[in-house]
Amino acid sequence: MSALETISSFVEGAPPGELADVIADIKALTVADPGLVSKLGPAFEKYNEEQFATVRLPGSTQPIIVSSHSSLGNGRYYDVESSTSFEYDHATQKASGAQSYVLEGAQADLTKTTLKSLSPYVKEHFPNAAYGVYPIENDSKVAIIVVANKYSPNNFWNGRWRSLYIFDPSSGALEGSLKVDVHYYEDGNVRLLTSKSVTTTVSAGSGAAIVKEMGNAEKKYQEELNRGFTSLSEGAFKALRRQLPVTRQKIEWDKVASYRVGQDIGGGSSRR
Amino acid sequence: MASADPFDSALDLLRRLNPKHTTKHLQSLISLAPDLTEDLLSSVDQPLSVRRCKQTGRDYLLCDYNRDGDSYRSPWSNEFDPPLGSAGAGSEGGGATPSEKVRRMEVKANEAFDVYRELYYEGGVSSVYFWNLDDGFAGVVLLKKEAKPGSASEGSWDSIHVFEAIDRARMTQYNLTSTVILSLSTNSTGLGDMDLSGNMTRQIEQELPAESDEQQIANIGKLVEDMELKMRNLLQEVYFGKAKDVVGDLRSVGSLSEAGRDREAQRELIGSMRR
Repeated sequence: MSALETISSFVEGAPPGELADVIADIKALTVADPGLVSKLGPAFEKYNEEQFATVRLPGSTQPIIVSSHSSLGNGRYYDVESSTSFEYDHATQKASGAQSYVLEGAQADLTKTTLKSLSPYVKEHFPNAAYGVYPIENDSKVAIIVVANKYSPNNFWNGRWRSLYIFDPSSGALEGSLKVDVHYYEDGNVRLLTSKSVTTTVSAGSGAAIVKEMGNAEKKYQEELNRGFTSLSEGAFKALRRQLPVTRQKIEWDKVASYRVGQDIGGGSSRR
Repeated sequence: MASADPFDSALDLLRRLNPKHTTKHLQSLISLAPDLTEDLLSSVDQPLSVRRCKQTGRDYLLCDYNRDGDSYRSPWSNEFDPPLGSAGAGSEGGGATPSEKVRRMEVKANEAFDVYRELYYEGGVSSVYFWNLDDGFAGVVLLKKEAKPGSASEGSWDSIHVFEAIDRARMTQYNLTSTVILSLSTNSTGLGDMDLSGNMTRQIEQELPAESDEQQIANIGKLVEDMELKMRNLLQEVYFGKAKDVVGDLRSVGSLSEAGRDREAQRELIGSMRR
């Protein structure tokens, strides 16, 4: 792996809200070759588009998503709700050069009605989220994105929820992927990474019906995830190490040599 | 602006990148900054590898503390594998082994922690390595267990306890640094893939009387046992409490406006009761 590939992989692995910290570390590790960091443009672009980076346009409070589905090329992206296009700097994560952008084409109506239903749904379930709907693949499909971030670096944790759905109006197929990324790093480094694909159909094909189906899938997934925590805690975690020996007593270390003789003192120790 | 120390930056990066792949990230960092190789290898804990002792047939764990070049010392036989050449340029008497007195304690400690392993882990592998210090001795207690309780879920636990036991008048000063590396994962049709991995480190210092080898081992045993109990509780809290809470902070299963109305109604109720 070349040095550039190595530092690009570090960028790709940056936890939610910690890209700037990762870049600072990379800079300190490559002081001997300062030109290297300036070649990270493609890695930043990939990171921002895959992580659904959010940006606020000058003078606006509404966060807007950066993704490959809202890309106009040449570093410009657009947002349907605010009818705006803008230039995005992938290295600094800042927007500039906002212009009016009017959505046209075969999926313009479906895009707008989906947005109209999506807005109240997102407000009902995500305390801090950005969302967007975009016609894709030559107006043959519609992409729907929700990204929720919660950063608490003072308490050493950050989290991100990502939903991406592709709706195909010709078949009614709705395919999605739901991802959760949580990082906890006080005196350690703990990471939760989840990924779930969703495949369903929306026969009505309306914006309201699509959002209703999304809501069902996400509710079901979150409940599964909560059960996943329980099953890992009760299953794999307990199977690794007991809280106390079977005797429910800590070891008497001054007598540990005699334990050897009576190996069955632990009761369950013959299970192996 | 003074630039940050590359070693600190490497450690900071390892604290941020996916802890499931620490070994891979460590190799990447070493290729990027070869000057840091020794410092990183001696200060970053990685999941332990298991090797079978050719003399005794028992499994033991590999780490930087029982390594000499490409060879590792078995705690059960005290032999290096592969055997160190007699030339041994720079290494004393065919590899770094503890003095006879400290080796005697090491043997007893391995027996004691083998019992500990069986009682707490009901399986897995343990190894203890000691080495001499000018004013006492030091050591590392290693424990590793892998589990696959269901067809879809699996986990691994690695404990690395590094300690110093320093002679003081009447007492021994113990400095213990403990790291647990815990990886858990599960997958199913409804859930998809779920991976919960990481590591946590804690330190403790304590002075205890130690008048015999047995008492030394009992002291170390108690310190490690208490630390592991504390860390197991901490891991449980972070993995299954904190991580789950953050998911709930990102997305609410229930309706946020209803929750808000409930809170408002409760406030009003409490307010009216006060009046």
